[in-house]
Amino acid sequence: MTGLLSRAAGRVAGRRRSRPDPLVADLVAALGPDRVQADAAARYLASRDASIFSEGTAGPVCFPASTEQVQACMRIAARHHRAVVPRGAGTGLSGGAAPLGSPVVLSMTGMNSVLEVDLDNRVAWVQPGLVNLELSRRVAAHGLHFAPDPSSQQACTIGGNVANNSGGPHCLAYGVTSAHVAAVEVVLSDGEVVVLGGLEAEPGGYDLRGAFIGSEGLCGIATAVAVRLTPNPPAVKTMLAAYPDAASAAATVGAVIADGMVPAAIELMDARAVAVIEEFARAGYPRDAGAVLLIEVDGMDGGAAIQADRVVAIASANGAASVRVAADEAERARLWKGRKNAFGAVANLEPDYYLHDTVVPRSKLAEVIEAVGEIADRHGVSVINVFHAGDGNLHPILAYDSRIEGMTERVAAAGEEIIEVSLAAGGALSGEHGIGVEKRDHMDKMFSPADLDHQNRLRQAFDPHCRMNPGKVLPSPHSCADIASLKAADGALWG
Amino acid sequence: MELTAPRAAPGAGPGAAAAVDEALAEFAAEVGPSGPVCVRGGGTRWCQGGPGDPEARVVAAPAGVIDFEPAEMTVRVRAGTTVADLHQTLAAAGQRTALPVRPSGTVGGALAVGESSPARLGLGPVRDALLQARYVDAEGRVVTAGAPTVKNVSGFDLCKLLVGSLGTIGLIGEALLRTRPIPQTERWVRAAGADPKSVLGQSRTAASILWDGSAVWVLASGYEVDVEADLGELAGLGDFEPADPPELPPHRWSCSPASAASFGPERLGGDGRFVAEIGVGVVHADRPQPPRQMSPGAARLNDQIKARFDPTGRLNPGRRP
Amino acid sequence: MDLGLDSDELVSCVACGLCLPHCPTYVISGRDAESPRGRIALMHAVQAEGAPVTDEVVRSMQTCVQCRGCETACPSGVPFGHLMEGTRAALVSAGRITGRWQRLGLAALGRPRLLRAASAGLGLLQRLRMIPSARLGLPERIPLRRPRLRASGADVLLFTGCVMDAWQRPVHRAVQRVIEAAGAGVTPTGAAAPCCGALPAHAGLERLSKSMAERVMAGLEGLGGGAGEVPVLVDSAGCGAALKDYGRLLGTEEARRFSARVFDVHEWLAPRLDRLPPVRPLEAAVAVQDPCHLRHVQRAHEPVYEVLEPFVESVATLDDDGLCCGAGGAYSVLEPERARMIRDRKLAALERSGATVVASANPGCSLHLAAAGLDVRHPLELVAQALEVPALRA
Repeated sequence: MTGLLSRAAGRVAGRRRSRPDPLVADLVAALGPDRVQADAAARYLASRDASIFSEGTAGPVCFPASTEQVQACMRIAARHHRAVVPRGAGTGLSGGAAPLGSPVVLSMTGMNSVLEVDLDNRVAWVQPGLVNLELSRRVAAHGLHFAPDPSSQQACTIGGNVANNSGGPHCLAYGVTSAHVAAVEVVLSDGEVVVLGGLEAEPGGYDLRGAFIGSEGLCGIATAVAVRLTPNPPAVKTMLAAYPDAASAAATVGAVIADGMVPAAIELMDARAVAVIEEFARAGYPRDAGAVLLIEVDGMDGGAAIQADRVVAIASANGAASVRVAADEAERARLWKGRKNAFGAVANLEPDYYLHDTVVPRSKLAEVIEAVGEIADRHGVSVINVFHAGDGNLHPILAYDSRIEGMTERVAAAGEEIIEVSLAAGGALSGEHGIGVEKRDHMDKMFSPADLDHQNRLRQAFDPHCRMNPGKVLPSPHSCADIASLKAADGALWG
Repeated sequence: MELTAPRAAPGAGPGAAAAVDEALAEFAAEVGPSGPVCVRGGGTRWCQGGPGDPEARVVAAPAGVIDFEPAEMTVRVRAGTTVADLHQTLAAAGQRTALPVRPSGTVGGALAVGESSPARLGLGPVRDALLQARYVDAEGRVVTAGAPTVKNVSGFDLCKLLVGSLGTIGLIGEALLRTRPIPQTERWVRAAGADPKSVLGQSRTAASILWDGSAVWVLASGYEVDVEADLGELAGLGDFEPADPPELPPHRWSCSPASAASFGPERLGGDGRFVAEIGVGVVHADRPQPPRQMSPGAARLNDQIKARFDPTGRLNPGRRP
Repeated sequence: MDLGLDSDELVSCVACGLCLPHCPTYVISGRDAESPRGRIALMHAVQAEGAPVTDEVVRSMQTCVQCRGCETACPSGVPFGHLMEGTRAALVSAGRITGRWQRLGLAALGRPRLLRAASAGLGLLQRLRMIPSARLGLPERIPLRRPRLRASGADVLLFTGCVMDAWQRPVHRAVQRVIEAAGAGVTPTGAAAPCCGALPAHAGLERLSKSMAERVMAGLEGLGGGAGEVPVLVDSAGCGAALKDYGRLLGTEEARRFSARVFDVHEWLAPRLDRLPPVRPLEAAVAVQDPCHLRHVQRAHEPVYEVLEPFVESVATLDDDGLCCGAGGAYSVLEPERARMIRDRKLAALERSGATVVASANPGCSLHLAAAGLDVRHPLELVAQALEVPALRA
């Protein structure tokens, strides 16, 4: 094993096997040979996530087993003047886990235990590598769950949820990750451990917990998270409303909210989405619909029934051709299965897709969806809309084949215009995927230099030397790292 | 003085450039780039975070509701507006916010202090109500944090840092808040001798559960049919009768939910009065909580935050959260 | 290096990562190189980006159990099993995997007499305590003599296979008894169709697997007097999956027609349960282990539950989403440590179910789980046992 590793280590630095990379040697000494991979295959895979961004090349990939080992990695990286990029399941879509430059990558998948379920405080202390859905399964026996449910919840990790302040369909009523995390144990870039927030109602000092959540790995690495557990609602009603067009579906969304309801979730899928979902998931969506809304209300029996009746009435008044209420848990699961598998199912259309993520005011939904369709047509790109309509969180999927010349550029141009349309409508760059590499250079479209300066101050308070996930979120010159210099990796990966 | 670049306001069409609100610009000018300055709202919670520097110039944020869109469930309001006035405007459309209502208490004050309403169990904490803030920084610039939408992960969450910062990061001039529908029914009931933990485990409509060591008060909130059903179930745990909520003692303790539910007068010297927020962890008591120790690492981070945002220490000197 | 993979199949992976929790090696290791997404990315790097086939790339492919749990989880319908078999075939051609001894062993599967002799030899060595059975994934007691199977008619063919016929003939007998109880005459295929070719296919020995497939089809042509339309029933999930794949493997119309008449025995039995006599259910709490080749490849695991239900006291479904048990054909022998770690998770799931008996419709899984000390039976063994005690009629 040692022989293999030192050979791999030699490759990292492009040296001969007799002189292993001192960085790798230090990491191996601290973590043991099984927890450090420096071979080209491991580094190649750690250089990408679920996004289409992969500009840098991972350095050695570490698999720490404890907070102490994370501290050791941070200290060693600092000593060698190398940056550090944390990584969960790599399901992020903005390139947050795809390293720039050639940093040390810390894969947190090995730290995936539930440390403690504290029923009296309705929290659980968990390690960051725990899979989101696995957490809910582990507490299901107590009638509790973890509310944020990103579409990748079967694979994505709690650490990744914290880094991205992840949402999901049910965040409409329950709030995003930040509302469900009481405290985070964090290792800072100098190796120090600090607990942010706490189980008490009003922890003293600044809300550093809140500032850390959503910081996309730029403020430190979470090594333990106290997640709040939510009681399962006693009654859930899931409805599928089919419309002749997306505009009437969008109108329903505003009407439902204006009626004084906050449904658990409202998801909109356009005609092409319905077609592709039916092709793969057979969720029972009406294939001839111009758009469908998947609406879920929950609560106690009486209130859920009242809300369901109101939703059905409002949907019909806004032109729904049919509204189906799921009769049982199996039907409900099937309706959701279609929604949750929508993005991957798109690959049945084209080999590549770019899943966009912007937010607009609910009142602007219809107009922005139309503009998105027009933009896609103009660039000759297929667009499919599947999104969290209840909170105005658009997810246009641009499906394409990158093997066609000029296609990637056309998709990028369409993506940029979608951002501009969303911001002009009074929206935001990202609702849940984060900025990462994807939208970094669009940040100045939404924020002034002073705004960005303050964001960088926050980041530098945590990481003065900008060693954590450099080159992400903040554009030059508001980022302390020289982003241009990060793109070049040191030496050819496959050497 | 440098103002933030003009940008589109919600509702503005493409290309429209809505400059910073005039009242906000005036507020920024008043704060200016130098000299100790202290922002004051209704002055309801100056018992928290230190007395403040009497030498500091006192400023007040402008008042008024700028834009309320019921179908968006958001409201844009100037920080000097009282929460009571704001809620009066919102009530016309059947909505409200999670901010606590105190006589003369302002939106900016509620955000800067960061203390949640006693109905936090149902309404959520104050920090989750702030979607976007425009504040004047130590250099006198207007800075925008967050986004004008109900959901946003564009960049770092400076809003969280502002809530509860007692004006030491920046002086909030304007806030975009999340609103919530006012439920069909809200009813306080009380039962002597009920077990607060069982009530928390049982009730599905409680927006607040208060306990003074002997009696439990529940604010049942929601659809009438649900409140009725819930109160019916609660009857198994105690003799719940309609009642006014208890008067809250003046001092605020911060505990974990579990320790608030097992609070006792022994922690107040044997004879103190308290009212605990069950499921939340705030305990209202007749004497102040002993000072809490922050870990050295957390203390160092707090210092670095303050140093980065207000290097000269001119914002609300003498106060620290 | 050209792996010979179909470019459209290769790029159909959008790297979403939804396969990760359904991959047994990723679940135990947390390493991208041991995940379906990572393996596909490496295939792409090698075939399309000119990356060299490093030792680590080879290991990434070798550590795959080929359970194909990722395929059922994949929203994009990536044909992972096909890509992996293609990659292994290319690596075999390039001399990077599958040593000569392994090829010899796999070739022996298609030679019933040689296999019987080898099996008897192993059985003897075992009794002399000269080989570590558990570590090699061998049954506790390899039979030295086997009960005979006799044809009782030609309504259905019962595919008997290679290793299973050598080691688990009592299972075939039980299956035959149950089919006969349902009123159908059975012709066991025996030496007419020695081996389905699944194991060589998984190892990347494409030529060998094709020739075995052709031999099976030829051997079953007209067997039992039927005109090539008699259902071929299979009581081993792995063999069933292979037989059902002949259409794709050989690409001929004849092979597609053959595959269409192959059924897992439970699939065939479930709609015919009313033909079985009523019995008193066995007093056994049974947990069903879904073999990957039944659940993820044939997607026909549900009939097992349906068939078992009337014959045992309780049938438990495991809560692990059909995650592989780690047997994986020869995997438990080639990668014993990973196979054991994967099995530990299955054992935990079985423990949570509270069952005392495990029903598994695949011989590889049965051996692998039995080696951990569990009471593992073929589902139809349980049914046959229940049928032995007629119910007291009302």
